[in-house]
Parts: sequence; C-alpha cells; structure tokens
Amino acid sequence: MLTVAPPDAAEARCNATFEALMWSMARPGDVRELPEAGLTSIVEALIDRECVAYADSPDLSRQIADTGAVLGDPATADHLFLDRLEGASDALAGIRCGSALYPDDGATLVAQVAHGSGQRLRLTGPGIDGARDMALALPAEFWAMREQLCAYPEGFDLLLVDGRSVIGIPRSTQIEVL
Amino acid sequence: MTLAALTKPWAATSYGFLDASAKRELRRKMLKAIAVPGCQMPYASREVPMARGWGTGGLQVTLTLVNPQSTIKVIDQGADDGVNAASIRRFISRVSGAAETWDTLDASIVQSRHRVPEETMREDQILVLQVPNPEPLRGVEPNMSIARQMHADADYGRLWLTLYEQLVRKGRIMQGAAYPSLVNGRHVMTPSPIPRWDVPKLNMARHLTFLSAGREKRLHAVPPFTRVEPLVFSDRPYRVEDHADLVCRRSGIAGYFMNEIPQDSGGSVFEVSDSNLGIKAIRRAEGEAVEIGATWYENGEYSA
Repeated sequence: MLTVAPPDAAEARCNATFEALMWSMARPGDVRELPEAGLTSIVEALIDRECVAYADSPDLSRQIADTGAVLGDPATADHLFLDRLEGASDALAGIRCGSALYPDDGATLVAQVAHGSGQRLRLTGPGIDGARDMALALPAEFWAMREQLCAYPEGFDLLLVDGRSVIGIPRSTQIEVL
Repeated sequence: MTLAALTKPWAATSYGFLDASAKRELRRKMLKAIAVPGCQMPYASREVPMARGWGTGGLQVTLTLVNPQSTIKVIDQGADDGVNAASIRRFISRVSGAAETWDTLDASIVQSRHRVPEETMREDQILVLQVPNPEPLRGVEPNMSIARQMHADADYGRLWLTLYEQLVRKGRIMQGAAYPSLVNGRHVMTPSPIPRWDVPKLNMARHLTFLSAGREKRLHAVPPFTRVEPLVFSDRPYRVEDHADLVCRRSGIAGYFMNEIPQDSGGSVFEVSDSNLGIKAIRRAEGEAVEIGATWYENGEYSA
C-alpha cells in the first residue's frame, strides 16, 4: 500500500498557519495562534510567483523576492505586509479593493498591530454571533479610510498580527468605533 | 542566493498529493471566499487522480486543509459507504495520514456530495461540499460574462422569475435541490445540489462551509453565523420536503430526510438518507452505548 511521508517542517508550518488564518477570517475578532511569531510564516503559506506583494521591511521584501513574487508598491500589490501601520495611511489610500465584477482582486493587508489596547471597536457581520467588542491599536484615521474604501463586495481584508496571535477582519465585517 | 536555497530535497510525493504552489493558490482563494461569503472565486483547479465532476473541487479543498491530526468523513448522498465516498475518503487518508471516520461527531472535515449531515455540526468542524454547477444564474443566463455582471449588480430578477413561473404553472416551488439562496444579503449562491431540507442548516451555522467546483474552477464559502436565506416570496413561505412523518424501515427513526425506495408493488419504503445516523440508531436500539449528537431537525421540525 502507498504510504506517505509525514509532512516536512515547512509543510506542517504552512498548514498550521493557514488554519489559523482561515479561522481568524471566518470568525472576525477571534484570536488564533500562528506557529511562528511575525509575518514570515504568512508569507511562506500564501505568497509565490503568482503574487504581487509589498512589504515595508527589507527582510520581508527579501523573503518575498525569494518566493518569486513580484515586489510591487502598495497600490499594485495583492498582498501587503506592514510592520507599522502608523504613517502608512497615504500609501494605503490607493490599496487595491477589487471591483464588483472581481471582488477577489481586493488586497490582503497583513500588519503588525498590538491586540487588546487602543481604540475600542464593535464588530458585526458574518462570522460573528451578534456583536463583538475588542480593542485594537490602529491609527485613528484607519477605520474611516477603510469605511470609505470598502464598498462591499469591494474592499480589502485585514490580518492583524501581534507576536504569534492573529486576528482577521474581512471586508464583510462592519466596524463601529466606540 | 544559491540554487540550493531555492530548491527542496527530492521527494517521491507531495504531502497531501497537491504540490505546494497549488495549495498556496487555494489558500489565497479560500481566504477571499470567506471574506466575501457566497461570491464565487475562480481558481486553477489542478488535476487530481479522479475525473472532473466526481468531487475534484471538494477534494482539492480537503487536501489543502488536511493534516495528520485531521479526521475525515466523506459522504455521498448521505451514505459513507458509496463507492465515490469510500474511494475519496481512502485516497485522502492515504496521501495525508489522516484518520477516517463515518461518525459526524468525530470528524474534523466532512466532505460531502449533496447532503449536510443531520447531526448539528460544531464550531471546529469544516463542511466541504462538492459542487457540480456553482453558478445559480446558469439556467437563466448561459453567458458567464453577463452572469458575472448580474452578480456585480445584484441583479437576480430572473431567478425570482423562475420561482414565480414554477408557482404559476405547478402551484408550488418545483426546485428540489440547489435552491438559490441569498448569502449575507448580497450574493445569491447555489448551495450545491443539497435538498431544500438542508439549506436552513447553512443559515447562521456554527461550522464553516466551503463549496468547491473543480470542473467549473470556482469556489465559494459560507462562514459561521452568516445569513443564508432561500429566495422566497413573502406570501409563499419556504417549505422543506414533507419527510417529517416518514419512518426509516431499517432503523425505525423518523423526522429526518429519507431516501425513497420504490417497490414492485407500486408503493415505496423509506430509509434514512444520513446512513450513519441510521446505523447509530440501530446500534443504540441493540443496546450499545452509541452517542448520537443533537440534530438540526427535531421530530421533523427545524429547531436549531
């Protein structure tokens, strides 16, 4: 009988990373655990030469280039990896939001953001039973910008990473700043 | 950069059959599918050792999700022991080392052809539905570019028209399976050819559902706690099949979706369609301590 070797370390890491990302997107506001701290495991699980990606750190840019992905700017990238959201608002104003015809062209924004501190938010929408309150340390103007850009089903999707924790906020989630 | 850094050591097979780039593409598309519930996301749909149309879409999603800790249940029209279901389940297990099960309660991933299990699925479970035709507008608009524009405009008038015509001609909704349903108030999806009985199970469910069409190269998703509303006229309420009073001739349980088995004498007998639920009921009746989970339908009434 055919026997299959167990997954190697990279395969297991990518699988666990995706599982965390999938459930965090499916349940906005839930905190999921990545196998590794930081954004590198997310790049490993999602990015390859079919992507246009942007990163604001040289290390991550190098990792993205090594996957074969095209390094783009924030306006052309389908995946953005930001160590800092502060001061990135101007760059994010041109982020890809797809179109009503092709909502899947909207970008995925992966950013390092502290969980549990900062603005109080109330999340409602698919994946949330009723409403969910949480605190996220994003720049004050971010949510207004998101509101303006995300005309559902157009929009971009957020993955907020703090150490090994990840929170997903898809475009379908409505956010009220409390 | 060295050449060695860009390559991996040779291996006879890829874990989970699909190669790494196929999985990355599916991962990206599955995240987008969750972000826009009910919206069909195109994907490349790789070759798998099975003919297109036999569940290749569901299989690719399952192979992307699976790991050695997973427990897989595969059903074909409710049955775990159909040739298609047994072959897919064995294949997934062989290429991933995942455990196999017939029990909905034990499964972490349920891949299904055309049924949702009767036992209520939990928040940690994933339902993967195989979809032959993901486009609810195919019947009213064969041009897929125009159908895409109709989805973009949320222009679903012609679907309402087909339902209206059924009411006018037959006096009732004739759509037996793949009932068009509005997801998150925006996109109409076909919930794959599950019977009307199963559509309410997707509404505000606790589990995550992926619907994947390998031949048509599209997938969509229904996240947990997402509205899935069958298209109905306000004065003609949605009706599931009249199976509430039918009794399974083998297990004796009633109030679940039944398979009708015509008899030579002209009548019919019925067997519960979710075969493992029937098996568990029989084993329990024989005195075994079998756990039967809570079910979506209680005494033929949807209760969840």
